[in-house]
Amino acid sequence: MTEESPNQAIPINASQPIGEVLVYIEQCLGELQPVGLELLGAGRQLADKLERPLSAIVLGYNLGDIPKTIIAQGADKVYVADHPDLEQYRTLPYRRVICNWLEQMEVEPHTMLLGSTTTGRDLAPRIAAHFTTGLTADTTELDIGPYEHKGGSDPSKIGLYANCLYAIRPSFGESLKARILGPWKNPQMATTRPGVMIPLKLDWERHGEIIPIPVNLLQEDYRLVVEETFREVNKGVNLTQADVIVSGGYGLGGPDGFELLNQLAACFDNAAVGASRKVVDCGWVPYVHQVGQTGKTVRPKVYIACGISGAIQHRVGMQNSDLIIAINKDPDAPIFKFAHHGIVGDLYQVIPEMIRQLKKNSNTSSTKEVSSIV
Amino acid sequence: MSGITDIIVLIKQVPDTTSKAGLNPDGTIDRARAKRMLNPFDRYALQAALHVKKTYGGKVTALSMGPPPAVEILLEAIEHGADQGYLLSDRRLAASDTLATAYALHKCILYLGKFDLLFTGLQTTDGDTAQVGPQIAERLDLSQVTYCEGFSIQNGKLHARRIIEGGHQDVITELPALVTVANAYHTLEYKTIRGARLAQELLRDEALKNQYIHTITLDDVNADPELCGLKGSPTIVAHTDKVGQIGGQCTMHQGKSADILIKEIMDCTNIKEFAKQ
Ligand SMILES: Cc1cc2nc3c(=O)[nH]c(=O)nc-3n(C[C@H](O)[C@H](O)[C@H](O)COP(=O)(O)OP(=O)(O)OC[C@H]3O[C@@H](n4cnc5c(N)ncnc54)[C@H](O)[C@@H]3O)c2cc1C
Repeated sequence: MTEESPNQAIPINASQPIGEVLVYIEQCLGELQPVGLELLGAGRQLADKLERPLSAIVLGYNLGDIPKTIIAQGADKVYVADHPDLEQYRTLPYRRVICNWLEQMEVEPHTMLLGSTTTGRDLAPRIAAHFTTGLTADTTELDIGPYEHKGGSDPSKIGLYANCLYAIRPSFGESLKARILGPWKNPQMATTRPGVMIPLKLDWERHGEIIPIPVNLLQEDYRLVVEETFREVNKGVNLTQADVIVSGGYGLGGPDGFELLNQLAACFDNAAVGASRKVVDCGWVPYVHQVGQTGKTVRPKVYIACGISGAIQHRVGMQNSDLIIAINKDPDAPIFKFAHHGIVGDLYQVIPEMIRQLKKNSNTSSTKEVSSIV
Repeated sequence: MSGITDIIVLIKQVPDTTSKAGLNPDGTIDRARAKRMLNPFDRYALQAALHVKKTYGGKVTALSMGPPPAVEILLEAIEHGADQGYLLSDRRLAASDTLATAYALHKCILYLGKFDLLFTGLQTTDGDTAQVGPQIAERLDLSQVTYCEGFSIQNGKLHARRIIEGGHQDVITELPALVTVANAYHTLEYKTIRGARLAQELLRDEALKNQYIHTITLDDVNADPELCGLKGSPTIVAHTDKVGQIGGQCTMHQGKSADILIKEIMDCTNIKEFAKQ
């Protein structure tokens, strides 16, 4: 007979059934959004640790091959709501279908993940509040592990818990990393930043189950109508492969400023031109160049921010660059809070000088025509 | 007639992380020593609420939750033209996560009664979650428009433009609705002369102040303390790691001619390695 060691405590939740890991898959007009596929990669690891299936939920209209693709990307099961009224994302109908489905599941999912996109951050808090369960925003790492809750004002929560979702996110202006847990109620929910998790390889040999789910909407779910959606697709410019990104903001003063950035980019071997959302919204450059929360997440060796103030939504898309050089005429610009090197000055004086010194540096002056990068 | 009568704007006081005061060396904030300010994202929400009042009519109520000093931001809202302020202040709210916060605030909103529009900022600078708005909307069963960057009211409906990946979306919703205002919306205008004068008077006259700014507790709004604070929070911060410091790491190059500034950059970074040879 083996004796139980006194400090080998049995987790409080040891006898409870563990649900699956559920990933919300975002699609827009029939096109899968990359963040959903990234979440399948992250979710696969969590599901394997829990030894539970990885399931996905996708809503839309005329979804075609999308469910099959989701299986090829790692899901064991796909819940599909295909209905004309779900063609465009709207908070109320989407939350109705998802909450109804979760409510009738025998064991609620252990974990539910959504992307920290404008859709995920709109939808996730509604679902979490509906089930009064915990939700961690904007995570950058996820894991499963034990947790011992020792104190706090609520004695009913004290004890050892197995298989908790570790939702890890930056906090306090990215200076801290916080591990947030909520093992007391399932699903344990998190939204995850796009561009952080790694998708699995597409594998058409993978088997999975496609499960249609009911769509029962109420009158009150139609309180909002979408008049029009304007969406440019993020394709073409290879921001994520470049060693150097030269990025321009509103401080350029006008679209012509990008001419100067092209010249600077052309000084490097493998460079691309990025932009802030503000200049994209102004129509100075197309969306493919946009870096940030609603654009691309990039991690180049060098990021040169020219006339960009450094708003949080820009920062999350580029802060993991190896070297950040910021050029801004305002010494108090927020970008100087997280850049590695800050040059205070007028970019129209600083950049030409940078171009001159970079060219001087190259021994052989290249005579090849440089095609415009923008 | 737009039919708008009541507008509520939710605002929060946050530590001022732009100033070094109250910043611990490890990057955490000493809330007692830190300077306080109106959450910068809420300035857009306040502007949106005041814009509705000016353009379509109605009364603006600023609502906040926090310790007693948060009265300062309600006064600030009045200076800008808000009509009254409510502060939910209660020790039992300490350590509330977003779900518990949304629960408490939705109780306040029910207590305030009828409203047409409920504005919040996009997120706070000390929490950065953007969750509380939609969680309140769920509790109150409201239609919502998040990431709103512009709007108008036509025939009693809200026509709004919201930010999405790669562009934007135009939506129309029935009222009442919750709107989280993006920082792409108009910045807060100057204080109004009337508002500033009134705030001055309120600072001098406690009795008058109590007519404009009401401090309320969980009991006043009939909220269950079990669903607030640490008890009502399904999540806890189990552990934090320091990953860097706020400010201080950026090497600044300034006050010299451009050629010297760039030479400094060339000397102390590796960017030359990526230049064409
Ligand atoms: C939901 C949402 C999503 C968003 N997504 C993104 C996103 O994905 N990416 C993104 O970038 N933004 C995003 N934004 C917008 C973001 O909040 C900022 O508005 C935007 O990043 C600001 O762009 P900017 O820095 O170019 O402009 P500004 O903030 O106007 O900054 C211009 C800077 O240029 C400097 N300057 C001016 N003239 C000169 C000169 N001659 N020389 C040097 N410096 C000069 C100024 O000092 C200033 O700091 C988003 C906002 C929201 C609400």
